[in-house]
Amino acid sequence: MSRPLRLGHLYPRAMTIYGDVGNVCSLRRRAEWRGIEVEVVPIEAGPADLEACDLLFMGGGQDRDQSGVFADFAEHKRASLERAVDGGVAVLAVCGGYQLLGHDYVDAEGRVLEGLGLLDLRSRAGDDRWIGNVLVEAEASMGLAEPTLVGFENHGGRTHLGPGLRPLGRVVVGGGNNGEDAGEGVVAGRVVGTYLHGPALARNAALADLLLSWVVGPLPPVDDHEVAALRQERLAAAGRDSRRRRLLAWRR
Amino acid sequence: MRPDPRLGAAVLAGKLAATASRGLGRGGGTTIPGDVALAIDPGVLAKLGAALPRGSVLVSGTNGKTTTTGLVAAALEASGERVLTNASGANLVFGLVAAAVAQARPLGGARADRAVFEVDELSLERAVLELRPRLVVVLNLLRDQLDRSGELETTARRIGDGLRRLPRGAHVVANADDPLVVAQCEGVEGVVYVGIDADDQLLDGVPHAADARTCPRCGAPLHFDRVVLAHCGSYRCTRCDFARPRPAVAVRRITAASLDRQRLELDDGTVLDAAVGGIYNAYNLVAAHAAATTLGVPAATVAAAVAGFRPRFGRMERLRLHDRELRLLLAKNPAGLDVVLRTADELGATHNYLIAINDLVADGRDVSWLWDVDFERLARSSHRPHVVASGRRAHDLALRLKYAGMAAEQVTVEPDPAAALRVLASRAAPGEEAVVVPTYTAMLELRAVAQRAGAVGAFWEQRG
Repeated sequence: MSRPLRLGHLYPRAMTIYGDVGNVCSLRRRAEWRGIEVEVVPIEAGPADLEACDLLFMGGGQDRDQSGVFADFAEHKRASLERAVDGGVAVLAVCGGYQLLGHDYVDAEGRVLEGLGLLDLRSRAGDDRWIGNVLVEAEASMGLAEPTLVGFENHGGRTHLGPGLRPLGRVVVGGGNNGEDAGEGVVAGRVVGTYLHGPALARNAALADLLLSWVVGPLPPVDDHEVAALRQERLAAAGRDSRRRRLLAWRR
Repeated sequence: MRPDPRLGAAVLAGKLAATASRGLGRGGGTTIPGDVALAIDPGVLAKLGAALPRGSVLVSGTNGKTTTTGLVAAALEASGERVLTNASGANLVFGLVAAAVAQARPLGGARADRAVFEVDELSLERAVLELRPRLVVVLNLLRDQLDRSGELETTARRIGDGLRRLPRGAHVVANADDPLVVAQCEGVEGVVYVGIDADDQLLDGVPHAADARTCPRCGAPLHFDRVVLAHCGSYRCTRCDFARPRPAVAVRRITAASLDRQRLELDDGTVLDAAVGGIYNAYNLVAAHAAATTLGVPAATVAAAVAGFRPRFGRMERLRLHDRELRLLLAKNPAGLDVVLRTADELGATHNYLIAINDLVADGRDVSWLWDVDFERLARSSHRPHVVASGRRAHDLALRLKYAGMAAEQVTVEPDPAAALRVLASRAAPGEEAVVVPTYTAMLELRAVAQRAGAVGAFWEQRG
């Protein structure tokens, strides 16, 4: 690639809670370590040329900011995002960003926030907030080098996928999309949505590399011993959480 | 006061529980007595509060509660009052009850003239309803332990709920530089705004750890003319008329800044010469000054009390261990860690850090916030620092430091606190100063290790 890899960071001002920026940092560094120059393009409110990017990332926001973002996206960016996705731009959308990709989000007061309808999925506010460690076995067809995704979820939304969509993976520990069908997130072409918030790509380097490889082709390996140590520790912690949740359920 | 058998029983049982808890080695009994006393008399806090001749003062906000509470208490004591406070930082309702019980007379009468309590943001409303305080200090609203409170927005609203329940005639000392605090003070009477007008230690932009980049009233972007720390500074909305209110008490100049000391010149001419450094403590100092003077303490008395004030456990505390000078700088959230690292790098010129990140409930179970901290600044530092990454989430920290750009030889992973302190001591030269930055429970562990090595006393024995 003669020009730098363009990584579009959608709404870095409003949609940036819980360390979501760790995903941008992960993509950038992991490309740079392979000698690929990266330009991070902040994309705020107003018209934007999303198809000029190679990769798009959008994180979660606080409720107040989120409604403004939904409206801005629908008004200024819907068509551009559709063209970008059709043209092969890879997308990672977390939490609020993930909900935005669907038809709508119904909040706790019953208000309907119109989504983009890019993917056949719907979200609504649940009765409680799911907060805790998550383990997900990623969809085998993705061919992830390390298919177990470790993360942390913190969301009140429940998402249901339409019949034609596959989840990103199957929940082993945690709530996931809706707590009913064991699904977590979504993968459709080069679009990935998930409730794994925070630095999900730092903890799951294989997923970061998969997103990058969709855009730049196969990647040489890098030294990931810090990631390996962290994952080992996180897998053990999620196991402890899982036992504690089962014990609590039994005591109730 | 009419005898109240239920209250008497609650106080006695609470005192016994405190003694028993200490005897069993379960720490200082900083909350269990509160549970016991509340179980016997749910009205214990309101009753003990009502018995205080001068009422109570509450200090809330994300960062700086303990230091500010200590400063306000010191100023009031210097003016001759007997002050009751939750000195060990137990700031949920149980902690307030435990502190009140410990210092009450056996039948529930008051030994103190006034209470000065630090109060958790989510407990403020209940504390206001029970204690009917004469003054509340709101320091700042920064991202903290989000997994506990859901979202900062929720925390902000809860603070506002507390302020709107204040009794008539109560005062609020609030940080004019924090747009989230100011938004919660709209429509509240008796607000005394404080702020920093000094241009001595400004940032060149809003750091990533900032949370209020959009207007709390209308959602449009905020424009910052000056940024002091996080999202605190001089701001105005780019759409509506929301803007920083003019502070009634402002810091005009900061001189002699070091880790140990700073000299604040306020615009009313008062000079506060304090043994606590760091720009974040400048906010605590000006807020404490405004609170104490609003309560009638003469400015000169406040200044004298401030000069004699020494920081509490883990806040800029100095301790000597293995013949090294360790500086303990508690950091509980991204804004806190950002400003602590900036202060240490700008003022301390140290090469050796120990950063210990735990994920227990008191720290916040989720450590994603590490990615909001500007570790890139540390990686760029001309001092080429070394970090011992420690705590239950040492591996998360080590990975974050790698992505921030620190070389492998600049980071040592050692989750165990005792071993981490030994690594730090082995890297620092004898007599050299090293900086230890722990989250809350990591701080308690590190202090316990240091205490076993004879470095510091148990925290619940410290007072003032």
